[in-house]
Amino acid sequence: MGSLFLPGDSWLHRLPGGLKLGLLAMLGGALMWVHDWRLLMLALAVVSTLLWQTGLSVAMLWSRVRGLFWLLLALMLYTLVVQSAEHAIALGLRVTTLLLAALVVSVSTSISQLMTVVLWLLQPLERLGWVDTQRVALAFGLTLRLIPELSLQWHDIREAQAARGLSANPLTMAVPMLLRTIRRAQEIAEAIDARG
Amino acid sequence: MLIEFKNVSVERDGRSVLRRVHLSLTQRRIGVLGPNGSGKSTFIRLLNGLLLPQEGQVLVQGLDTRKEVSRIRSKIGFVFQNPDNQIVFPVVSEDIDFGLKRREPNPKVRADLARQALEQVGVPHLAERLVHTLSGGERQLVALAAVLAVQPEILVFDEPTTQLDLSLRNRFEQLLQGLPQPAIVVSHDLELLRGMERVLVLRDGLVVLDAPPNDAIAWYVEHCA
Repeated sequence: MGSLFLPGDSWLHRLPGGLKLGLLAMLGGALMWVHDWRLLMLALAVVSTLLWQTGLSVAMLWSRVRGLFWLLLALMLYTLVVQSAEHAIALGLRVTTLLLAALVVSVSTSISQLMTVVLWLLQPLERLGWVDTQRVALAFGLTLRLIPELSLQWHDIREAQAARGLSANPLTMAVPMLLRTIRRAQEIAEAIDARG
Repeated sequence: MLIEFKNVSVERDGRSVLRRVHLSLTQRRIGVLGPNGSGKSTFIRLLNGLLLPQEGQVLVQGLDTRKEVSRIRSKIGFVFQNPDNQIVFPVVSEDIDFGLKRREPNPKVRADLARQALEQVGVPHLAERLVHTLSGGERQLVALAAVLAVQPEILVFDEPTTQLDLSLRNRFEQLLQGLPQPAIVVSHDLELLRGMERVLVLRDGLVVLDAPPNDAIAWYVEHCA
């Protein structure tokens, strides 16, 4: 698994990150009040078109959402059993629309753009002298950057243990994961220091 | 380049990793050689204040690493062994831009500097690529471009060829020869070190030989292989 961001030059890539995040938040709020499946279908169609405009292929889309797809299916099945087919469909459409809308933002917004948003949001706190916004924004950017790396690291450790005939035990996974993460954090901090 | 080590000693975890190093570095190309654990990494980390000596003093162009670390780091470009630790952002151009932000406020000038640096190392086509899709060699070149973009006065390389295949390694050697800045290179790549003007051999935290490359390499092969 790599970064969710997809470099590109679409009009969505050029929109300010803050605007995209604001619209996503508004869409999320609005969808909670919509129960008509036809309106939800319309929203899904609009969001799918936006996603297509970012240049994301179907294969790349599937690689980014497949983990959540099975979770969504389970949720819909549960809703079908305890409520009704109508509720299950509305839930599926609503969550899929939100998921794809979040993906539109993730795919078209670089970490630098997100850091700019964090800097802007934290400005009032900096004026009060409570936080160093540059440091917080860098920590935020690094966290986003390292999430996919941690996933790869987990996969590497699992593979190495499987090669030794060990089953997937959370404890035996957690220890090397923690040690490697700490060492990696120290090395990255050193490299950032060296860059001035 | 003028870097001075004045009776420098370093201890880590109660163990002496560098002992009474006293020398001046003035040549354009200096190699550092030694077995694993001999103190090479410690030696180069002293150059830009990533480590500070317990005893003695390190001066870079007259600036003390204890007092002027920020100024020294703006003069020294450090290329790490593992480019994954050095590259902070997921897109190549974004990462180079990050290093330039503190020096250049104009985004267009930064973009130009990034492009020039990528051209200098021969990979301008990687500018908009995601870092995790690059090969190890390409990442190493991108890490070097990120360092060159900020136009440092001195370059320090920690095992720069370990992740490169033969073709990229040869390209790196040519590139190193053509760089205008003085460079200090820690490496086990003996052929690369033959192109240096002076090679220091470290063993058990001591500089055991300070000689022209052929003499230093012959000694190393005889005593440390």
